[in-house]
This record gives sequence, structure tokens and C-alpha cells, in this order.
Amino acid sequence: MEKISRRKFLKLAGYGCGSLFLLQLFSRLGLSQLFASEFNGRARRQIQTDHDLVAVKGEDPKIITRKAIDALGGMSKFVKPGATVVVKPNIGWDRAPEYAANTNPGVVAVLVEMCFEAGAKRVNVFDNPCNSGERTYESSGIREAAQKAGAQVYFVDTWNYVKAVFEYDSPMKGWPIFRDAIECDTFINVPVLKHHGLTGLTMGMKNLMGVCGGSRGLMHFDNARKLADVADFIKPELTVIDAFRVLTRNGPTGGNLADVKLTQTVIASADIALADVYAARFAGKDPGSISVITEAVKRGLVSLDYSNKDILELTA
Amino acid sequence: MRKLLVVRRLSQLCFLGLFVYILWSTTYPLKGILPSGIFFKFDPLIMILTSISERLLLSGIIFSILMLGLTAVWGRFFCGWVCPLGTVIDIAGVFGKPKVLSDVQNQKARKLKFLILGIGTILAICSIQAVWILDPLVIIARFISLNLIPALTGMIDGLFSWMIRIFHLYGPVYDLYRGLKSSLLGVKIYYFSHSLIILSLFLAIFIAAMKLKRSWCRVVCPLGALYALFSKTALFKRSVEKCVNCGMCRPECRMGAIKEDISYVKSECVLCMDCVYSCPANVTRFSFVKPKLEEKSGGITRRQFLALGFVSAMAAVSGCKDEVLASRPKRQRVVRPPAALKEEEFLDRCIRCGNCMKVCITNGLQPALFQAGLSGIWTPQLVPEIGYCEYHCTLCGNVCPTGAIPKLSLEEKLKTRLGLARIDRKLCLPWKKGKDCKECIVCEEHCPIGNKAIKLKKVNVDGKIVSRPYINERLCIGCGICQTKCPARPERAIKVYPVMVDHGNSNKETIK
Repeated sequence: MEKISRRKFLKLAGYGCGSLFLLQLFSRLGLSQLFASEFNGRARRQIQTDHDLVAVKGEDPKIITRKAIDALGGMSKFVKPGATVVVKPNIGWDRAPEYAANTNPGVVAVLVEMCFEAGAKRVNVFDNPCNSGERTYESSGIREAAQKAGAQVYFVDTWNYVKAVFEYDSPMKGWPIFRDAIECDTFINVPVLKHHGLTGLTMGMKNLMGVCGGSRGLMHFDNARKLADVADFIKPELTVIDAFRVLTRNGPTGGNLADVKLTQTVIASADIALADVYAARFAGKDPGSISVITEAVKRGLVSLDYSNKDILELTA
Repeated sequence: MRKLLVVRRLSQLCFLGLFVYILWSTTYPLKGILPSGIFFKFDPLIMILTSISERLLLSGIIFSILMLGLTAVWGRFFCGWVCPLGTVIDIAGVFGKPKVLSDVQNQKARKLKFLILGIGTILAICSIQAVWILDPLVIIARFISLNLIPALTGMIDGLFSWMIRIFHLYGPVYDLYRGLKSSLLGVKIYYFSHSLIILSLFLAIFIAAMKLKRSWCRVVCPLGALYALFSKTALFKRSVEKCVNCGMCRPECRMGAIKEDISYVKSECVLCMDCVYSCPANVTRFSFVKPKLEEKSGGITRRQFLALGFVSAMAAVSGCKDEVLASRPKRQRVVRPPAALKEEEFLDRCIRCGNCMKVCITNGLQPALFQAGLSGIWTPQLVPEIGYCEYHCTLCGNVCPTGAIPKLSLEEKLKTRLGLARIDRKLCLPWKKGKDCKECIVCEEHCPIGNKAIKLKKVNVDGKIVSRPYINERLCIGCGICQTKCPARPERAIKVYPVMVDHGNSNKETIK
């Protein structure tokens, strides 16, 4: 073996340390910003569903989810063969499914299955969790359920984002949005209906916070406008609100089983704002008291009165 | 055929690999084949001296006694064949120039480690546990956990993310990267504050080994000293028949154990087997020799008498551990891991191995420098700016080798208080008056307590309804997630402060 002289060894070690230091310096200087391209939102797809909104009540979260999507006209309305699909549940918290802080794993699993039945090439499931990702994915039961159904379940990378661009003046301008959320043919938004201290309830639009990078705290200022802008940026094709168990107090984390109400319902619609208005009524709240909804109403996306809409309520 | 050398090197590399593997798998969900920290159970210096200073029997002490027993038969096989730091030092020695000391120099050099061991023992008898400072396993474990693994994983992660972004490899390469991240690399790339100091201690040992082979083991290592004492009775010995006195083996000996007259100091020999192969006459052998029964004179020598007197004096002192402890600072200055022992006991029990920091799922446990006083260097402290204590996580208690952080059941953990959160109303956004007044509630949102230890109160400020947070001190467990997530910069508006716990034997204050 050729011996390396001490001088040579120290020199090598010096070079190694130096280049590491430089690398760190560069990444601190925000060189990663250079890679972030700009993106002006997903294209809107006009999808004619059989009904504007379907709500199904029943004992099994899997069966009612399937029935709700079928009543809308089937998954093939949303997912074309060979498509890449994002199923974005709420996996924010380190809680078991009974605590209703995360989306019901059964609902997520059925949606993944139905995407594949409709011919999807790949289904991605991810969230930007508030607690440690490893724990939330595990204890929510979503990783296991979705992987079993064939989905790719992974953690988002904070460096893999695009900078949001809007045609109008938006507080979200330049905000990092995870590339995973926009590089797909169909985006299925699967929130859980629960109490929240700031927005009153978390529903469809609030769930899209999970595709945003940056500071979660800063998102809370001027929250209604920001959420409505993100919803307009992502334009989810389908929103399925899991109201199988509803956390009525101490949200969004919960932790008391006494705060959880078993309502055994799933709400599905292609219209995220309509789904939110219906879900708010369902939770017994005045939709007008929820700032995200009033913002959507102000933009003419939805009206608080949905009596002119085609709404189908079923039991399974 | 240098068969024995090959076997020795294999053994060294295997144990080093095992060591790194155990530390690498010291992470959520803790599914390694071997329990983390198991190697400390085989470390008599840590196990026995900690047991003495803490007046208790640490679980697994039997393994370390077994190691002493084996050493009494085989000699210092641990140093030459097992010790991971020894392996690294041997690797360092390859880059150095061989330097040979005279007998007198050698004798002087090897005395120091016995002095260190002696001081460590006296301190332990006086109920101060200080051997961790120079224990080789602690030093290498801390280096691997807090320097090597974060640097390696960080480099691999950085390399992948740069390659993916530069060459737009969002296909299978990205999937491979994600697979690696959720298995081998870990989701989080760890960072440890002032870990450069830990690195420099390791580098000092490494460079010293380049100057003089195995210098750490020859001069400083107290574990080596302990094994040296026990190897005096070893039956496995070096013998040279028909020596031609060529002296070729002497400069080769990495421990400087071969004297100028080619006899050797058995307690210094680490059985590296170099001299077997450097012997041109091929007459050096290692073999078992039957013990000679030496005649013992009756009575005790003066030296024994003095030693006995010393030990009994120390035993007398040892009764007053509480008095010794009382003289030390009591105030808890940093937030400790959940249910950590009382501060003064914690400082004694903790060996600074870094296991709890390595395993902490949020990276919130960080090595203290002087925040907990000089004696608290490298003890774990929760730094919520970096990470909080995950509500349902009990990992740190599970990997602590000495029980400084007790094992907790999930039920106990949920009720364990680490500290208390306090809001600085001058910094908190909803509390600041005027145009800065904002909606925030991030702390309330993240609070993991079922009934929320942070409550909101709606107030009308200049015609704007704002929710202001309050802390319910009866419910708050001081997990620090509110501080981690608080958006106020540069200083967080909500901070967790340590609580002085003044009852019982441990910090296990529970919430009623």
C-alpha cells in the first residue's frame, strides 16, 4: 500500500473542511433560491359532475367514500388513464385516527384505490406536517393504509418548491409552493373537518396550507386572503371532506376523545368553496362567520345559500 | 501469512462497524437489532465508577465485570481488538512516522493514565462522577453521533438535492433519494450547536496518534489503565525463545510495551500481534502459560496498609454524599430532557455520550456548553429554537445508558413537566399594541395538551378583534413546541423556562 505522507493527509483534510465550509456558506447565502423557478398556478379543468356536491352517511368510511365519488360520476371523471395524481390528506399531527386530528386513513386508502382503478399511473400522498413527520405518518395510519393501496407516500423536501406567481396582487406572491403539489394531472384535496382556533373550522381551503413551504406562522396573518389565493393557485379537481369523526373543540390538535363527535359522513365536490360552505353548515357553524368562506363569497366563487345547487345526500 | 494480523484488523473493523451501526440506528423508531448504548454496559470504567459514585448498581454492570474477568485471563484484548477509538487511533498511526521512546520515557508516559484513573476513582468515592471526561467509548460515541453521522448524512443529502436540482433528475433518482431519506438517511438532517469543540477533541487525539502511535492509549486512557491493572494476572503471554536480540520488534510495538532488553510489559500489551510478524527469526509467540503459584508472605506490606487506610477513609467520606451535593449549585439553568434526575444528580449520572441528542426526533436536545455551568458541559438541554419535545415520544429515556433520563411509559411521559412557557407581551404579535396588532394563535394551535395549556381571549383593539394567548400554568408541561413554532423574530415571544423541582428523588413532577 502506498503510504500517504502526513503533510499530504493534512492538506487533503484541509481541502475537505474548506470546501464543506464554502458549500455551507453558499447554501446560507440562499443559492438554493436560484433553482426555484416561478409558476403561475395549475390550469383549471372543467369537470362536469353528476351532482354539484354529494354527502354520504354510513358506518364504514371506506364504503361511504366510494359511494360519494361514484355518485359524483365516478373517479374516471377526475383521473384519466396514465395520470399522476396527488392525494393530499391532513397528516399534520401525531395523533391516532380516533382523535380526528388527521384525515381518516380509510378515506385516503379508498381514494388511492379508486385512482388506480381509473387507470392512474402514480398516486402521491404527502403533507407538510406540524409534528415530526415520521411520527405523524405512522400514528395517523395514513402511510400504512395508502402504501397498501399502492400509493407513494413520502415526506416533502423543503428545497423542492416553486415560487408562486399570480395575475393579481396577492400576499402569497413569491411564496414557496411544493413542486409535488403542482406536478400532477389531478389534485385531490382530502381534509378532515375539525375545529380550529383561528379560522373557526379547518376544511378544504385550509388543508391546502400543507402544500405551502415557508413560515407557517406568517401564513396566519391575512389568512383568509392567502388561503383563497392558494386554492386558486392549486385549483384542486376534487375535494373530499372527511367528516367521519369531527373534532369539535380544542382543534386543530385535539387530544380529548370527548371532543370528538362521530358523524360518519363524507362530503365530496369538485367545487372546493361549495364543499367548505356545506361542511361549515354540517358542523353547525354559520359559514358567514368563517373568514375564508366570506373571502370566497367576496370573490364570487360561492354563495352562502346553496339551495340552487344540485346537492345529493345519501346513506350507505 | 500474517493470519493473526488479518484477523485482528477484521475484528477491529467489525467492532467499529457495529459501533457505528448501533449509533446510526439510535433514531426513531429505534428498531436496531441491538439496544442503543449496549456497548456502555461492557465498559467497566463507566459502569463501575458510576455505580460507586451514585451508590447504586447500574443494570448490566455484570457485563463490565465479565470484561474485567476476561482481561484477567487474556490481557488487554479489548484495547487491541475491540475498542473503536483504538481502531481509529490505529488508522491514524498509519499516517504518522514511527517514533520510539526510551524505556525511561515510556515508563513516565504510561504512569499518567494510572494517575487519571486514581483521581477518577477518588472522585467517584467522593460521589463525583467525572470519568466520562476521558472515557474512550464516550469520546468516540459522541464524535460519531454528533459529528460524523450529521456530517455524512448532510453531505449525502446535500449532494442528492443539488444533483437533482441542477440536472432536473426528478424521476427515479428523486424516488431513490426519497427512499433513502425515509430509511437510511433519516428525514431530518441533524445539527448540533458548537459540535466543533467535540470534533476538535477527537482531532486532537487523532493528531496525537500521528505523532506517536497509540499515544492516547499509552498515556491518557483511564479505561486502558483499568484493563492494565487487571491484565497483570493474564495467562496469555508473549514468549521469545532463542532471541537473537536484533531489536526489530521494539520500534514496531505500538504501545511501547517492549523494553530495550526485549522483555515486555504485559500490562501494556494490547495483543496487536505485530511483534510476532516483525520478528525476523520468527521466534516470538503468544501462548497460554500456566500460572505460577507464588509464595506469599504473611501479613501485609506497608503499601497495602496505606491503601487499606485510604480506602476506609474514603468509605467514611462516602457516607455523606448529600453534604457533598449540598455544596454544589442547585439552580436548574437549562431545560432538561423529560423526567431527568434532579440537576445535581443529573450532572453526576450523565456521561455525555450524546445518545439522547442523537435520538431526539426533533433535534431539540442539544449539547450544552456552559449554559448549565462548567460541570454541565455537553449535557443535554432542550433548545426549543431548534426543536421541541415531541408529546408522544419517549425515546431519550430509552437510550440513556446510565438512567440519568429514566425510562418512561407513554402515560407517564404525557404528564411529565420539563419547564413552563411564558409569554413576553412586548414581543407577542397579538399583544403588541397599535398597527402591529395581528392575528396569530400559532402557539395555541400547536399546543399538544388535550385541553390546551394556551388559551385564547378575544379582545377589541382599536376596533379590531384580536385573539391573545394566555398560559394555563397548571396544564403546561413545557414541551416547547410553542417556542419552536412562534413566528416572532429574532426573539421568540413565548419561551420555556426550567422549573425548579424540589421534591422526591427525581424531576418527575406530574400534572394533576
